[in-house]
Amino acid sequence: MGSRAASREEILAKGGLVLAGLAAGAAWLGGRASPAASAPSPEQDERILNFALGLEELQAAFYAQALEEGGLTGEALELAEVVGAQERRHVAYLREYLGPAARPEPELDLSGAAGSEETFLRSAHALEEAGVGAYIGQGGNLTVRAVAAAAPIVSVEARHAAWIRDMLGMNPAPEAADPARTPEQVRASLERAGLPFPG
Amino acid sequence: MTRDETAHLPLTIEDVDRDGALLETVEAVAGTTRAELLRRAAIGSGALLAALAAPATASAARGRAQDTAILNYGLVFEYLQSGFYTEAESLGTVRAMSSEREEWARTLGAHERAHVRIIKDVLGRRAAKKPFFDYRGVTEDPDHFTRTAVAMEDLTVALLGGQAPRVSDLGLRAAFFSLLTVEARHAAWARRIVGVRPVGSALDAPKTLAAVDRVVRSTRFIVSRPRTAGRTPPRFTG
Repeated sequence: MGSRAASREEILAKGGLVLAGLAAGAAWLGGRASPAASAPSPEQDERILNFALGLEELQAAFYAQALEEGGLTGEALELAEVVGAQERRHVAYLREYLGPAARPEPELDLSGAAGSEETFLRSAHALEEAGVGAYIGQGGNLTVRAVAAAAPIVSVEARHAAWIRDMLGMNPAPEAADPARTPEQVRASLERAGLPFPG
Repeated sequence: MTRDETAHLPLTIEDVDRDGALLETVEAVAGTTRAELLRRAAIGSGALLAALAAPATASAARGRAQDTAILNYGLVFEYLQSGFYTEAESLGTVRAMSSEREEWARTLGAHERAHVRIIKDVLGRRAAKKPFFDYRGVTEDPDHFTRTAVAMEDLTVALLGGQAPRVSDLGLRAAFFSLLTVEARHAAWARRIVGVRPVGSALDAPKTLAAVDRVVRSTRFIVSRPRTAGRTPPRFTG
């Protein structure tokens, strides 16, 4: 036990490793009136996946808007086409999973949201990182069935984020473990990016 | 030094658990000792992961055994990856690449080593021993090395995506997602470097442990004893 404790201390002393998925799990729990309400359940899955669905709707609408504005060329255009189609697929996939429990389709007006190529990439980056952090934050709150359904989307969101970061000249994988975000943090980051969460 | 080795979230559980609800729950489920450990542990630290990852009740024993098995397979896989990047660095293969590729390879190496450390820490005495590896010359050739890395990172995504739903501990499940997204970033970055679109289909297909294991065994990278003088030594010795 002594050496176990020492090795943990050692890891902490070295600056620790950011497994912040746990941090968000904790924040999610801590922020509820009744912690017991956070035990995974189909009802909780519905709430969480509807939040994810809203995010995917926003992403899909953003890429559609960028393509409609028609200002993109080269790899940025390819990205908008490829990623946009995948976000639409995620929307359909989550709607199918949720069935009648799915939130109504939002009415989104993103006129002028895409802007220049640089603005487009920065906004896309905010959207994709919001998706990555949101899914990680809820990983511990979903039932097994919902985790199995979400996992194939989660890694694709991370691929999108890495692709965009590389194009922006940022390190595509800045941490050894990606940080989680609470729903409140996700909403705030979207607000800052000028792409508020629908509904 | 890459950022992952210095980054630190200076938060403790009390910072995020202001009304004490989480600690109360932990105390009820796992007893005061673990709650005390959690109170002091920095958020995101290996200690916190370890504390959350160890179910205390007898009914959790089966889930715990499965979690241990999954983590141990993950550990062997992270050993395989970290050894791969570390050897390419020590042989000078990474240094000989373009600066863009060098940053990529060094970042991935640092991340995979970090993943080894954290999974080992979670498993403690239950951690599997480090296997012996023979990368069969792949780490000596920049092109072969990079292409193999792409395949390895995509395979890790399929492995973690397949195992995340099998993890019974909730804290560990969240942690699995945060590793899954990092491996997916690695894969996307590697693919772009070799000129392949960073993302394949809209849904990353998970693989079972058996399917992943078949691929790993086909590489013959894991060997039963250390590489000896009987084989051709590497061209570079670092």
